[in-house]
Amino acid sequence: MELVFLAGLVDGLKTLGINLPSLLAQLINFTLLLILLSVFAYKPVIRLLDERRRRIQEGLEAAEQAKQQAAQAEQEVQAQLERARQEGQAVIGQAQQIAARIQEEARQQAREDAEALLERARSEIQLERDSAIAELRREFGGLTIEAAEKVIGQSLDPQAHRRLIEEVLAESTLGGNGDQQASGSEPSP
Amino acid sequence: MRGNRLRLAVVGLLVLVLAGFVFLRGPTPHIQIKPETLYSIGIINITNTMVTSWLVVALMVGLVYLASRRRELVPRGVQNLLEAIVEGFYNLVVSIAGEKNGRRFFPVVATIFFFVLFANWFSLFPIFNAIGLGQEEEHGFVMEKVDLGPLPATYVGLSSLDQLQGRTIDEEDPEAAHKVEQEKDKGNFVGEIRPFLRGVNTDLNTPLALAIMSAIFVEFWGISTLGFFTYGRKFFNFGGLLRGIRRLSLDDVFRGVIDAFVGFLELVSEMVRLISFTFRLFGNMFAGEVVILMFTFLVPLVFTLPFYGLEIFVGLIQAFIFAALTLVFGMIAVAHGGPPDAEEAQAEIHETETAEGQLVVNSEQ
Repeated sequence: MELVFLAGLVDGLKTLGINLPSLLAQLINFTLLLILLSVFAYKPVIRLLDERRRRIQEGLEAAEQAKQQAAQAEQEVQAQLERARQEGQAVIGQAQQIAARIQEEARQQAREDAEALLERARSEIQLERDSAIAELRREFGGLTIEAAEKVIGQSLDPQAHRRLIEEVLAESTLGGNGDQQASGSEPSP
Repeated sequence: MRGNRLRLAVVGLLVLVLAGFVFLRGPTPHIQIKPETLYSIGIINITNTMVTSWLVVALMVGLVYLASRRRELVPRGVQNLLEAIVEGFYNLVVSIAGEKNGRRFFPVVATIFFFVLFANWFSLFPIFNAIGLGQEEEHGFVMEKVDLGPLPATYVGLSSLDQLQGRTIDEEDPEAAHKVEQEKDKGNFVGEIRPFLRGVNTDLNTPLALAIMSAIFVEFWGISTLGFFTYGRKFFNFGGLLRGIRRLSLDDVFRGVIDAFVGFLELVSEMVRLISFTFRLFGNMFAGEVVILMFTFLVPLVFTLPFYGLEIFVGLIQAFIFAALTLVFGMIAVAHGGPPDAEEAQAEIHETETAEGQLVVNSEQ
């Protein structure tokens, strides 16, 4: 029974044209094609695809990096500019300060000079006045004596004269000195 | 103007159809499932399908060689085309099977696809089934000898014009016998043609060979991924049964029997796969060839074209089906069989839930 079935099967397969040599030929054919296509088509193409993908990836990464670098550089430039500006500001501020100081010093100097000049002038004036007063007093003493001689009509011995004059003068100097001190105390504190 | 042109085209087509009827009716096609033997070397018969498949392989390899002679990173011309095709198919395979499995399955799946596709489309060239060796027979049609250079004696199946148009000659008919004599005097003879080229997949051996290769690779992938015993347990699953017998539990024995039976079914389905692979491809391609032959016989011009279009489509679809099924069977083979762990099942449930949630969200949108 089974043998009949098998025989029938083989017969049917034969009728359909299935036979071992053809089948083997096709199997070998396919294997050959599989190997050849794998070697010449799939592997290189897939490798190329991977390579291309890798390159694109790298390119993208490089671009990203370049962008970052550019941004960083930009930032640095900005920072430097900022720093430069600040420095400039500082220099200008310093210069202004120095200028102000110099000005102040100059002003101070000028004031001091003027002060000194004034002082000198004042002391000279004082000196002038003192000597003028002394001169005047002497002159006045002589005149007084003369006037007194004329008034009295007599001559006194010069010794007595001198003493008399000195006495008078001492009296008047007291009064004159008091005046002098009151007026001279104001400009020289 | 436009209507005129249309009318002209219709009239032209009709004229072509009629001219085909009158002048180009070929002989009744002789349809045979077995591929014709061209030569015999010892016990090996060189059939026309074998020759054609060699030609297909040679052409494919030649094309690939041509495209890969100068390989550049920036592709151009034939290389670009080839790369685009391979890349497209590669992406498809990877998108179905995932990166790891896709890479592994790709060469086999792609070779099946491209071989079947190329063979199918190549068999649509009109040199197929037309030129071949003549074989003198008692009835048949008039054969004309054609010199094809280095090739051996070659005949083309063309009937002469005098009233033998599209008719086979039967020698029992006295008139026909006379005509046969006449033809023989002219150097022609009566017989059948054994074409040099015949669609590769119209020979059952080719689909069977492809199916066998596909099955071998599927089993190989399964075994190399899961290990021999794990993979074998898919088909010979007696563990549960033995355990049940040891425990003397009727319930376990029953479950074990079911497991073993499921394994047996798996084994059967593996076998059936082979047959369905073979006959699906063979049936489609053989039927396509018959349809084209018959239509060339019935209406030689114009109306054959739609069937050529159909065959181009069928050729592509069949190639794709064969390759895609191999891919899917490969994926099933490398998937972990047997009862899934609780964890896996949980993960699966979670996955389905998320997928469902996604669907709901999508439909709501």
